[in-house]
Parts: sequence; C-alpha cells; structure tokens
Amino acid sequence: MTHISVTVDDGHLSALDGVVQGLRARGMQVEQVLDGLGIITGSVPPGTLGALSGVAGVLSVDEQLRHRLAPPDAPVQ
Amino acid sequence: MKDPRRPAVPERETSGLRPRTTGRRVVVFADADSEEPVDWARAGVRDVADSRDFADGDVPPETLRGAGATVFAALGIAVVAADEGQLRELRAGSARPVLSVSPELVHHVLPADIGTYARGYRDGVADLAGRLTSAEWPAPGAARPARFRDTEEATWGVQAVRADASGFSGRGIRVAVLDTGFDLAHADFVARAVTARSFVAGEDAQDGHGHGTHCIGTACGPAVPPAGPRYGVASDAEIFAGKVLGNEGSGTDAGILAGINWAVTSGCPVISMSLGADVVEAHPPYSAAGRRALQRGSLIIAAAGNNADRRTGDDGLVGAPANSVEIMAVGALDQGLEMAYFSARSLPERGGQVDVAAPGWEVLSAWPMPDRYRTISGTSMATPHVAGLAALWAEATGRRGLELWATLCQESERLLQPSLDAGSGLVMAPR
Repeated sequence: MTHISVTVDDGHLSALDGVVQGLRARGMQVEQVLDGLGIITGSVPPGTLGALSGVAGVLSVDEQLRHRLAPPDAPVQ
Repeated sequence: MKDPRRPAVPERETSGLRPRTTGRRVVVFADADSEEPVDWARAGVRDVADSRDFADGDVPPETLRGAGATVFAALGIAVVAADEGQLRELRAGSARPVLSVSPELVHHVLPADIGTYARGYRDGVADLAGRLTSAEWPAPGAARPARFRDTEEATWGVQAVRADASGFSGRGIRVAVLDTGFDLAHADFVARAVTARSFVAGEDAQDGHGHGTHCIGTACGPAVPPAGPRYGVASDAEIFAGKVLGNEGSGTDAGILAGINWAVTSGCPVISMSLGADVVEAHPPYSAAGRRALQRGSLIIAAAGNNADRRTGDDGLVGAPANSVEIMAVGALDQGLEMAYFSARSLPERGGQVDVAAPGWEVLSAWPMPDRYRTISGTSMATPHVAGLAALWAEATGRRGLELWATLCQESERLLQPSLDAGSGLVMAPR
C-alpha cells in the first residue's frame, strides 16, 4: 500500500465528509480526517494514486514523506 | 561593558554625515483615527492643509511646499513649519497628544554622492584584497572567534537572543513542539503545565530518543533550573508536546499533519518542528497546513535542515516542510554568529528560503533522565530558540499568525551573513 495525504481545496473545507466518501469510492483507505487543516490521510494500492485527483474538492494527492532524525548520540541532529 | 554583538557590524565614520533637513518638523499625534481637532491657531500656525480636503486624500506637492502645516489624517502625522515656541505651544495646548516632533529630512535616491559611493567601492575592494591575501580569512570550517559562551547563569544561545534580559516569559502562550515526545518525568519540569499526546502508533508520548526533550527544553525550559545554567527561552509558556516521530527518530507526514492539526485546534500560536525530509520541491500538504494554520493564528516554525557541509563547499538545500512559503525556516548560527557548517542554504525555488537564524551550535538543553542535560548541534536546536522567542513576542504584542511572523523578522538583528543563509538575521527577544 502507498501512504498518501490528500489536500482538500478551500471550497470544500466545510464539506469534508463528501470528499471522504468520494475518496473511499475510488479505493482509498481513509485513516485520518484532519478537519483543522483540510487534509485527509490514508493509503491506496500501489499505482492507483492518480485516480483520486478526479474526486471533487481534491487540490492535490501526495505520497507521504518519511522524516528521520540522526541517532541520539550524534553530535549534529 | 563591551557588547559582544558589536564586532558583527564594522565601525563606520559617521561624522560629516549629518543628514540634511528642511527646517520643517514632522509631528506625530497619538491616535491616527481620532477626530479630535488640533488647535493650530493657538500655536500660531496658519494655512493648514488637510489631506481630507483633497480628492482621495492625495495632497498635491505645491500645497505641501506652501502650507504652514500639512496634515496626513489617515496617518495622524503633520509636517509643520513652526519655531520652537510654536511647537511647545502645540505640545502643551493640543487636545490630541503629540507623540514626537522630528526634523524633516531630505531623502535622496541612493547613492546620494558619487564620491561616497566611489570611496565605499574602493574600501570594499581593498578589504576584499586584504582578506584574500591575509591569514585572517578563516579556512572553511576553521574555528572562528566566539562572541558568546555558556556561563553559570545561561547558555550562549539564551544570551545571544537576549531571552535572559527580556521582561516576557511566554506566560499564557501555548507552544507546541512536534518531535519525539517529552520526558514527562524530567526534574526541571515538575511544576509545569504539560499536555502530551502521541501520534505514533504503538508508542506513548514519553520521549524514547531525547531530541524532543532537548527541543522543548530550549523553547520552554525554566528561568532558573534547579541545576546548571538557564537554557530555555519561554520559561512560563504552556507546553504542548506532540509525538510525531517514533523513539527510533522517524515519522511520516500522517503523524506530523495530525500533530499540526492538534496544535492548531488546541489554540497554540506557536508550533515548532525540528524535522524534515531532504526534498527540493515544496510539499503541497505542508503548504496548505501552513497557510490554514496562519489563518487560524498559529505560526509553524521549522528547521532549514542539516544537509549542508560548508567545509567542503556543499550548501545543501532547505527541505520539507521548511521549504513551504507558509512555514518559517530557521538556519543555525555558532557562537561567533556565523553559519554552522551544516546549516542549509536557500534554494531559488519559491519557498525554499531560510527566513531567520538562531543559535544551533553546541546547544545545551534538557535530555531524558537520568542524563538530564546534553549538548548537541543542529538547525533542530536553532528552531526551538525561535519558537520560544515567538511565544515571548506573542505575549508582548498579542500578535498572531502572519503578524507574529513579520514581528520576528522586523525585530531580528541583521548579521554579516548572506541572507541566503540567515534570512533576516538573529531573532531577538522583546525587551
């Protein structure tokens, strides 16, 4: 599965439920609906991310980045 | 006492550079919006032109030249031709309090004087030649003279940003630090209000790494720690510790965005994020999150990144989330107020710029017990200095969001470092 973040456009911030339904209908497994930010996170089967762009209210669909710190004993963190 | 900051700005010959003035005075009145009339006649000032009498408030230049006083109503400012006695009368007798009276200066398109320009150019070339041929120009990575050092009272970073001399402590301001959590049993924080929450599956908010505790220490550590020097900036701020990176030090956008959402909806005016991924392109979710956070009064401050190695000529890049326009990016300074070798430089891409700089070299702060303290370096350490300072300014001014951002930049001390590396310079505490 590919972990993704879906950014919702300004016009759909008060209608996130409808966007979530649209994303689920296109195969997204929704994990979090961040209503304070208008961002929905979750996962899709590999290679199917592009299908979500067509859902009304979707501004962008992005694969999640991984952030990594240096180990605790590193001088520069 | 010699100010250790002064060597950052070369001494200049200022005598003979007395500004030219017109003989008129610029008077600033209290309350720009006040309808209270100014009693010009009492001060003996005639021919008063008021911007409200002209179309669109646009005062023609010939009126400006001839009038005894020209009033810019929207600004609460007047340019007045008056002698000292009349000005005294104006100050004493006006129903509108006078805030200041200053000589009207003559401004020029720069360079004002080609001689000054040419001399400056000559001196610049001579200085460059001198530096290139002298041993004074430090080799990349060579030790440079320190202007600050840790003392028994405070770390060098707390001194450099003048947090120890500030009348503000971040009281009433919620500061969210999104990191590896917090050592909830740390001896320096027993009496503090801490709200902790984990966004990492299978882990509680307790810090199993140390990085998060160190960052919270710098942003919000106590004014007088029971042991050792002061290392924290906003000593009375309310701590919101969001764990978005696991004990092994990594995390994904989902947890970080969840942490931002929590901080924003919890009403935190300051969100500190000492984390990043080395990608050149701004990441749309962070741009949207940064913008919507600002709209709701929360300023996100993020580390520019440690991916440079200036010793080998590698400038690195500002990664995500700091490379979003809507998120403030922080570079790291050493005790000489020069860039730390690892501090990432701005990219030409929109948003990929460093906005400000702060102490990020050999920073002592809290570490999970029983270690209690540790000294480490990174733009991760510079970021919570700025977060703490943002809390002080939020308390001092009541400003939030973009206004708070602008205040941090306005009030930062300019440095002799490229703006590509240090942005507006060293962020300073309100007095």
